[in-house]
Amino acid sequence: MSETMIPPELVAPAFNPASFANRDDVHAIFTRLRKDYPLSQVEVPGYDPHWMVTKYADLREIARQDDIFHGGDRSKTLISQAGEELVKQYTGGQSNIFRSLVQLDPPEHQKYRAVCSGAFSLDGIKAALPGVEATAKIYADKMFSLAPECDFAAEIAFLYPLKVVLDLIGVPEPDHAKMLELTQWLFTYADPDLKRPGSDLTDPQEITRTWGIVFEEFEKYYQPMIADRQQCPRHDLASVIANGKIDGGPMEHRALISYFIIASTAGHDTTAATTGHGMWQLAQRPDILADLKANPDLIPGFVEETIRWASPVQQFVRSATQDYEIKGRTIRKGDLVYLSYLSANRDEEAFPDPFTFDHRRSPNRHVGFGFGGHTCLGIHLARMEMIALWKEIIPRLKSVELTGIPRMAESEFVCGPKTVPIRFEVEKA
Amino acid sequence: MSEPEYSVHRCGKCGFRYDEALGLPEDGIPPGTRWEDIPDDWFCPQCGASKADFGEM
Repeated sequence: MSETMIPPELVAPAFNPASFANRDDVHAIFTRLRKDYPLSQVEVPGYDPHWMVTKYADLREIARQDDIFHGGDRSKTLISQAGEELVKQYTGGQSNIFRSLVQLDPPEHQKYRAVCSGAFSLDGIKAALPGVEATAKIYADKMFSLAPECDFAAEIAFLYPLKVVLDLIGVPEPDHAKMLELTQWLFTYADPDLKRPGSDLTDPQEITRTWGIVFEEFEKYYQPMIADRQQCPRHDLASVIANGKIDGGPMEHRALISYFIIASTAGHDTTAATTGHGMWQLAQRPDILADLKANPDLIPGFVEETIRWASPVQQFVRSATQDYEIKGRTIRKGDLVYLSYLSANRDEEAFPDPFTFDHRRSPNRHVGFGFGGHTCLGIHLARMEMIALWKEIIPRLKSVELTGIPRMAESEFVCGPKTVPIRFEVEKA
Repeated sequence: MSEPEYSVHRCGKCGFRYDEALGLPEDGIPPGTRWEDIPDDWFCPQCGASKADFGEM
């Protein structure tokens, strides 16, 4: 039997956003946890004890049992004891400022998810394909117009999925930059380049303050749109959400605003991170680019591998509603479990050569979209838009190399490269 | 009387396809296993959705 308590100094860096600037170091921590401390507890000073779920099979077993492992009773993402207390003060007792699909539990979760499940289904998303393909061409054209060099993350990867999802919601293009800024304040609140300007990370109240500001900014932006769409529905996602019914009545206010927030943030930041990793790999591996150019039908598999590799949502935290036995351990009612999607996607027992980027990997049952009832609602849109972009870029891309070392955002939650500097050649027409 | 043709079932959540002809040998389901012979507590190996979330294509 392996150890049940993890030395806190081993895990503490993985609780610090700054550590994620060097993902290799973070992977080294999780590799050690998978080997020596699978399904063990840690008590990092300032944090409640957490079960560290780092193995693929354990994560899947826990993540799909939404009745037992709740996401809304405690903070859905890693937070310190002091931070959670501040959130409770802000919300009047709730552990989460946001009440999006991510934080909702059964049976409420299914009811809210059903509002948009048709629009985001495989069939529902088909109507969006022509628009997505047109946007992919715009951004491929933009990239090639920047030849021979660009920062693929900032100039392409951040902006393309942003436009795709905000067009679907119905957000006018002049407002897209504001949406990107708020997204980065939210997900990369601790990154020195992407955080809310002026926020002081040495102040323990700063995270809550930033999240509160983000909520209020989105609320201020979306309230007039909600009123507009309720009066005059259009063919956009804003109309679907604004007119969504729960048990025949309107959505609860915080959940309604949070619905717009998750669509406007998670709907593009995760895809941006994954796309940035994709170009990073192509720039290091000319063999992959050559193979994809010769075999375009491999592009969907390439996209799946970028998702496994990127694991843009690195962790969620759940709390147990009852005692639960797993692998000879007992997770007690009320215990917190840290689900590391980043670690599960590199589990040696689930993926052969997990630290090799293999665009021909099959099967590739990664958990990059989550697992169980909380599997990403935008899974089909995300795949569609990434495939569409690479189908535009790869045939026209003759060669690509890095001109510097890509820099990862400093975030323990949603994380991807904030710069991918490349030099490239364009195929002659 | 000939056997009915094999059918394909798609997960409504993630799009994963179960093809009766191919089965899922890596999960211990041999080729040729009919959809109705898959246990009701089986779940989508890609996303964890229940068997009931699948639809025949």
